[in-house]
Amino acid sequence: MTCVRRANAAAVITAIAVLGLAWSAASLAQGNKRPADPKHGAVIAAQGTANVPACAQCHAFSGASDSSGAFPRIAGQSAYYLEQQMHDFTASVRANAIMSPIAKALSADDIVDVAAYYAGNSDPFPPLASADAALVKEGQQLARLGNATKGIQACNNCHGPDGAGIPPAIPYLAGQYAQYIAFELQMWKRGFRKNSPESMAVIAQQLDERAIAAVAAFYQQARDPAVSASK
Amino acid sequence: MTDFSRRAVIKATGVVGATLLPVALESQEASAQAPRPTPAQPTTYLFFNAEEAAFIEAAVARLIPADDKWPGALEAAVPNYIDKQLNGAWGAGERLYRSGPWQAGTPSQGYQLPFTPAELYRTAIAAINAELKAATPFAKMTGAEQDAYLHSLEGSGKDLGGVPSSVFFATLWDSTVEGFFSDPVYGGNRDMMAWRMIGFPGAYASYYDLVDHHGTTVTRAPTSLGEDVHGHVHADTTIPAHLP
Amino acid sequence: MAERLKPVDVVTVGVGMTGGIMGKELAAAGLKVVGLERGPMRDTVPDFQSPVIHDELRFAVRKALMQDNVKEAMTFRNSADQTALPMRRWAGFLPGNGLGGALVHWNGQTYRFQPADFIYKTHLEQRYGKDFVDPELTIQDWGATYEDLEPHYDRFEYLCGTSGKAGNLKGQIQPGGNPFEGARSREYPTPPMKEPYYGALFRKGAESLGYHPFPQPASTLSQPYTNPEGLKLQQCVFCGFCERFACEHFAKASPQTIVLPAALKNPNYELRTGCQVLRVNLDSTGKKATGVAYVNAAGQEFEQPADLVLITAFALNNVRMLLNSGIGKPYDPNTGEGVVGRNYAYQTVSSATVFYDDDVNINPFMASGSSGTVIDDFSGDNFDHGPQKFIGGAYIGSIMTNGRPIEFHPTPPGTPAWGLGWKQAVARHYNHTIALTVHGSSHPTRRNYLDLDPTYKDAWGLPLLRITFEFPDNDIRMSSYVTEKAAEIGRAMGGKTVVGTPRRPPYTTTVYQTTHNTGGAIMGNDPKTSPLNRYLQCWDVPNVFVVGASAFVHNATYNPTDTVGALTYWALAAIKDQYLKSPGPLVRT
Repeated sequence: MTCVRRANAAAVITAIAVLGLAWSAASLAQGNKRPADPKHGAVIAAQGTANVPACAQCHAFSGASDSSGAFPRIAGQSAYYLEQQMHDFTASVRANAIMSPIAKALSADDIVDVAAYYAGNSDPFPPLASADAALVKEGQQLARLGNATKGIQACNNCHGPDGAGIPPAIPYLAGQYAQYIAFELQMWKRGFRKNSPESMAVIAQQLDERAIAAVAAFYQQARDPAVSASK
Repeated sequence: MTDFSRRAVIKATGVVGATLLPVALESQEASAQAPRPTPAQPTTYLFFNAEEAAFIEAAVARLIPADDKWPGALEAAVPNYIDKQLNGAWGAGERLYRSGPWQAGTPSQGYQLPFTPAELYRTAIAAINAELKAATPFAKMTGAEQDAYLHSLEGSGKDLGGVPSSVFFATLWDSTVEGFFSDPVYGGNRDMMAWRMIGFPGAYASYYDLVDHHGTTVTRAPTSLGEDVHGHVHADTTIPAHLP
Repeated sequence: MAERLKPVDVVTVGVGMTGGIMGKELAAAGLKVVGLERGPMRDTVPDFQSPVIHDELRFAVRKALMQDNVKEAMTFRNSADQTALPMRRWAGFLPGNGLGGALVHWNGQTYRFQPADFIYKTHLEQRYGKDFVDPELTIQDWGATYEDLEPHYDRFEYLCGTSGKAGNLKGQIQPGGNPFEGARSREYPTPPMKEPYYGALFRKGAESLGYHPFPQPASTLSQPYTNPEGLKLQQCVFCGFCERFACEHFAKASPQTIVLPAALKNPNYELRTGCQVLRVNLDSTGKKATGVAYVNAAGQEFEQPADLVLITAFALNNVRMLLNSGIGKPYDPNTGEGVVGRNYAYQTVSSATVFYDDDVNINPFMASGSSGTVIDDFSGDNFDHGPQKFIGGAYIGSIMTNGRPIEFHPTPPGTPAWGLGWKQAVARHYNHTIALTVHGSSHPTRRNYLDLDPTYKDAWGLPLLRITFEFPDNDIRMSSYVTEKAAEIGRAMGGKTVVGTPRRPPYTTTVYQTTHNTGGAIMGNDPKTSPLNRYLQCWDVPNVFVVGASAFVHNATYNPTDTVGALTYWALAAIKDQYLKSPGPLVRT
């Protein structure tokens, strides 16, 4: 089979990161001429600032968080998207008990730097187990084709090939923790997360518990090379 | 519940101060520019014979040439694209009304020949190769000579075995543009190099959040409808097929 | 030998927009309806999903959703002194195929015609005198007025969820909308789409010249919407794969998203796909339809008896169906007699291209089929034509729908047609160019018409439709005038190079313009000049209605779909409120 690799074979890890990598400089800070400083972002991630704890405490220094799924993986996520979420945390559209105070306590420059740091992290996606093959299959169906009876489009339409993301504005889901994906869909469904009200909220309302679990399970394992190679 | 004390975090990650830095950021431009050269995949021609292939390869290299900034049609595997199209349904005349009688018609009436695309290419190239056999085969001409010859095909109605040369040239040009700019699953636009050249982001497209960021620069790598989550484009044009 | 099926109340020839609406409504009224669709079954999930649908080669270039020329083409000539030849491949216009018809792969541009359009002859004579209009043009009043149709426009727009800003609410001009439009009874169902950069640049340029820009009315929706059928549409994401493609997001008004599920839920409605209708059968008097003859995908022939036959197959196919069925007298351009096939018209479109420096990123790939910004200042009769030597007009819009590179790679004048210079120009200009659309009226003439081809046949052995058409001088002069206005706006937009390309004769079928083919089975008040009465009912065969743009007496400045929708609901009302209660001619002469 002819597989045309898009990125250099010598940089496999970079290739994976490139998919989730948006630009760093020309993002929300479009009016901000100061370029992002990911080294400074690393410092904040590791140590926090006078006002905020280290991001690494929850998200790990690499941004891979941990497999509990309580905190999202942010390594390699689009910097634009990370900045947008930090901005939304300061407003009521994404009020969050943990993140809102943190986002408010960080300066705009700090946010740009931290986002750039985590966006640039090319930490490998570890294979994440999924117990229920049937659930994953259902999730794959929803991800790639949608659901005719419920009028749900394929998640991949916006979230990219098996959830790789469409940077800069649309985050990757592939390799994101299932518990976190499910939690966020519930937040949209119940009206607690209000950014993207006209797409994600509407879609989440059409998903029942089983469908939410299914897409979450599918996307969690979507980057496992062993799985995705066998189409 | 994980201990989130700073001590615990530092212990877990081995971080001390700011000395541990992430892997250097891939230059943003790299994702949009031509990628580092990948080994050329050998092309198996299913339709063209060796003489036809030689003509096509040389011709497309003049129609869309390479320069120091960007590759051209040959590097983009356009001959492979044309070969696979001619070997498939389009070449055999899908969607072509094929009943006679046939009359020349006016320019407004469009294509009125009986040839399917496969027949058209085969007939015209055979006539070209026959004509040039005595002189210099097209592939052996200099670039300037090739350009002059292509201009003569384009501008004259020279008869190529029943195909007017201008009709053949127009078809070849259309095929070349298609092969250059179509999704790489069709065998051309290798590595999406043509899309990188112009900044077209490709098949995955959802821009609600960006459409009102007027004038923004989109630099992400383009996406093929045949690529998987790792960015591998499954551009195999033989069976078995894969769902994207 | 055709198998005779059980009779039904209604049969629709085609299940696209008009057939879908008619079928759903009449089934809901308690009638037994059969919808015969020649193309295949298809639905948003799974058939329209991405990334498969985002394939320019397959859908835009090879035209995968269109009628298959192998089976059924059409023939064309510019004038009767030429021999018509087959359109062996579609290029100039693209007839659709498949369940849902062309509303699956349209752009969503949703414009009403203007009040003056429906009383066109009267209006022009009143304003400019009886001798102003070129006598070659066969314009007439339509028989229904804008006031008749306004509630039906409203109903169709609310079915679609059209996104826009009203410019005239019950006679009050509204800021932000089109001040030239006919009065609306209420606001659009959803607000205007976001304005892309190409729209914003146009807006500034147009305003600087004193024009009145407004957001293009879009049936690619700006926000989620539940329509009166209870069907949910989603928000358009500007994916840039609109016309010629189906929408994966449920964001484009198509029969699948706005009406078909409601029809299919009703046991009174039966859909049969893969069924090619050959003709409407008539009884021995020739004044009553008994049903239709069709062939299914397996080649078996059937006769479907029905009390009411609705021809809802797209304008060109509608006319062909009448001709192949022997309904109505075919038009003869030499004598001027006959009515089926007369008043065929098209659309007079042109462009102005605005090239910028490479620091201006247009990003044309971020577009929907109907986003962007438009001015109506040069449409229809919105300006004084007294000093001009033409009637009609064109809207000017910055309404690019895509940046798909096989077909969109603009280069400025002087660029070589191929080679290194071409490639470098394409790379230089692709993302820094705006193509303005000039979308203009098309007037019918004595010599433009539709009939059956004497030579070429379809796969079922029936004659192809023959199109005889050339742009009248009137429309060419109009195009020249308005295209220059567009170029002026382009210069006011700050373009470094601006190129106006007006429409010039001869009309060619080799370059895509629009699929706005109109007329041939026009409505009217006089059976001598129209085959249909004002309710789209055949004068000669009262149990046949012909619903589509074939009914247009002329083609106004605007895209046809909204007006076809309005006429569908208008005819439906006549059927439900009058015809079903008392079958027979609704208009006595």
